[in-house]
Amino acid sequence: MTFSDDTIIIMTGGLVATGCALLGVFLVLRRQALLGDAVSHAVLPGIVVVFLLTGSRAPLPVIIGAAAFALLCVLAIDAIRGTGLVKSDAAIGLVFPALFALGVLGIDRYAADIHLDLDSTIYGEIAFAPFRTVEIGDALVARSVLIAGIVALVDLVLVAALWRRLKVTTFDPTFARTIGASPDWTSRVLLLAVSVTAVTAFDAVGAILVVTLLIVPAAAAYLLTDRLIGMIVIAVGIGWVAAIGGHAAAIEADASIAGSMGLVAAVCFAVALLLAPRHGLVARRLALTRRRRAAARA
Amino acid sequence: MGWLIDLLPLSHAAAVVAVGSMVLGAAAGLLGALAVLQGRSLVGDAVSHSALPGVAVAFLVTGAKDPATLLVGAAIAGVIGAIAMVGIERTQRMRPDVAIGVVLSSFFSLGVVLLTHIASTGGAEQAGLDSYLFGQAAGMVEGDVELMTWLAVGAALGLALGYRALKTSIFDREFAGSLGLPVRLLDIAVTALLVVAVVIGLQTVGAILMVAMLIVPAVVARQLTDRLSRLLPLAAATGAAVGVVGALLSIERAVPTGPVIVLVGVAAALVVLMLAPGRGIVWRAIRLARARRRERIGGVLIDLETAMHHGPPPTPEELALATARPARDVRRGLRALERAGLLARDGGRVMLNARGAAHAHQALEGRRLWSAWLEHGWRLRLPDAREPDPRDLRASIGDEAVAELAAMAAMAAMARDDGGA
Repeated sequence: MTFSDDTIIIMTGGLVATGCALLGVFLVLRRQALLGDAVSHAVLPGIVVVFLLTGSRAPLPVIIGAAAFALLCVLAIDAIRGTGLVKSDAAIGLVFPALFALGVLGIDRYAADIHLDLDSTIYGEIAFAPFRTVEIGDALVARSVLIAGIVALVDLVLVAALWRRLKVTTFDPTFARTIGASPDWTSRVLLLAVSVTAVTAFDAVGAILVVTLLIVPAAAAYLLTDRLIGMIVIAVGIGWVAAIGGHAAAIEADASIAGSMGLVAAVCFAVALLLAPRHGLVARRLALTRRRRAAARA
Repeated sequence: MGWLIDLLPLSHAAAVVAVGSMVLGAAAGLLGALAVLQGRSLVGDAVSHSALPGVAVAFLVTGAKDPATLLVGAAIAGVIGAIAMVGIERTQRMRPDVAIGVVLSSFFSLGVVLLTHIASTGGAEQAGLDSYLFGQAAGMVEGDVELMTWLAVGAALGLALGYRALKTSIFDREFAGSLGLPVRLLDIAVTALLVVAVVIGLQTVGAILMVAMLIVPAVVARQLTDRLSRLLPLAAATGAAVGVVGALLSIERAVPTGPVIVLVGVAAALVVLMLAPGRGIVWRAIRLARARRRERIGGVLIDLETAMHHGPPPTPEELALATARPARDVRRGLRALERAGLLARDGGRVMLNARGAAHAHQALEGRRLWSAWLEHGWRLRLPDAREPDPRDLRASIGDEAVAELAAMAAMAAMARDDGGA
């Protein structure tokens, strides 16, 4: 079974978007939307350390090193947030710049003369997806499709298995604690899933697209529905629209595929922001004028 | 600021960096405190990412890589991004972090598309445009310091002029709006100042590190005070101190300035989170341990008194069995009582001496009084509405109220006895 290069790129984008949307919905609802961005910067020291230890930029060690620092980042954020002294967004903003700073210092100190190019290590390029293949049995499969597919599947299973827990800890942490569903434990599992998903996806499609896919489809879906399950379905749908539309737009404009996919997702968000049936800006304005007119008549 | 630069016992270049970092730290501390209090801690992140399309467009329009032009482009895009953020928040369905994330990723995606589009159509001229934003901290010159000083003074003046209105709108937006305060105008003014700070910081400490420069001073100051009027100057001072310490350290070690400033700042924040008086983690742990210890000793004291009423002096093991208290706790409690001189030992058996018995009675009395307070306290008419201290009720509500409370408890006990009989 062979696919054309275009199909492989679209499938990579779509599968990454699926995994990201599944988790992104919860991040958006839990006020941790910027976790993806934090992780994308916090992995830098991991890459540097792996490079110093092994001298290689092979994908597997780099992914492991990056994942270690991604975990460190999310757990540190969770710990600082857990003290109750600092809000969750400020905790994010304390941790990832510090890790990023460590990475920059590490590069300056040990790797200044070596070209440790982020673009070619973990900040992958989706356009290369068709060329990096692995053999399974006697079929050649694109590596990024395989990895993104597995990760998306794991995320799906995880969200399905923890559905009730995730739901109750997201919407009412206090109530969750009283019925014995520990918000801390659930939060850590979610963060773990986010860091693994993000790091594997960095390798496949590049950091900025991952950050975008974690936030933007979920945020757009949040404008369009009030139901959690509906939000997930819509977010995944927007992710696939971004993958397909972005690929087409990139070829049309001869520009970055990942950037175009992100931009299509952003356009979806803008449309939702304006036209969402209840929460959109136009609908709100109409409701306001209607109320004003009713008040004037009364 | 020229005089300060000349005053420092450093080389001219080093002094410029130190003073510049100090001034930038102070400005970022002031403006960042406002952002953090409004739940927009990561606004710096969004502004620094949304500068990318601005740089790309500035390059497209002018066709030159002139730093000043690119800076203006970055600032304009930053302002547009900030306005978009405020607009998204206005749907009231999007919280600040989501608005920040959406703006950040959308603008950055746009920037990437623009840059790659330029690359594919216009040749290699554009190379390095993005590293302009995310590159290493560039050397500061005296002109930068002057610009930063103006920014810091402008921020401080703006805050002083609009202090009351700002304070109201930070803590209660709806209320501020209903008073007729220009909430949206204030929002935009503060955000615009912030954009300027971030764009200036971009060049000197780098985009990502600017995020921490905005947050660290606010987090530190917030742990040390509960009042906005003290928090703002404290944040400015923290920012200045972090900036200057980081700059001096980096000069001494000859490493990049931005990352060192950030690490110094985050370390300071962690130390303050640990040690802040009354609030810090260590402080809380100590208070908890003390409270537990006090409870344990008091409990063992009363248990021992009760046991001695019912029979011969118990051994520690018997005491633990009789009270269902862990044996270890009992032993530790007994040791503490012995040290306090309240305990006598007779072979393996323990008993309270006269002082110990007096203490136990006092503790029991206190417990009884607290139960009476819980049951009848609502009927007392106290001069003020403060919550009394469970450890010393008598001192916190006064002898008169205690006497009244005891009378009420006695009446209730009599009523119960009558009912039972």
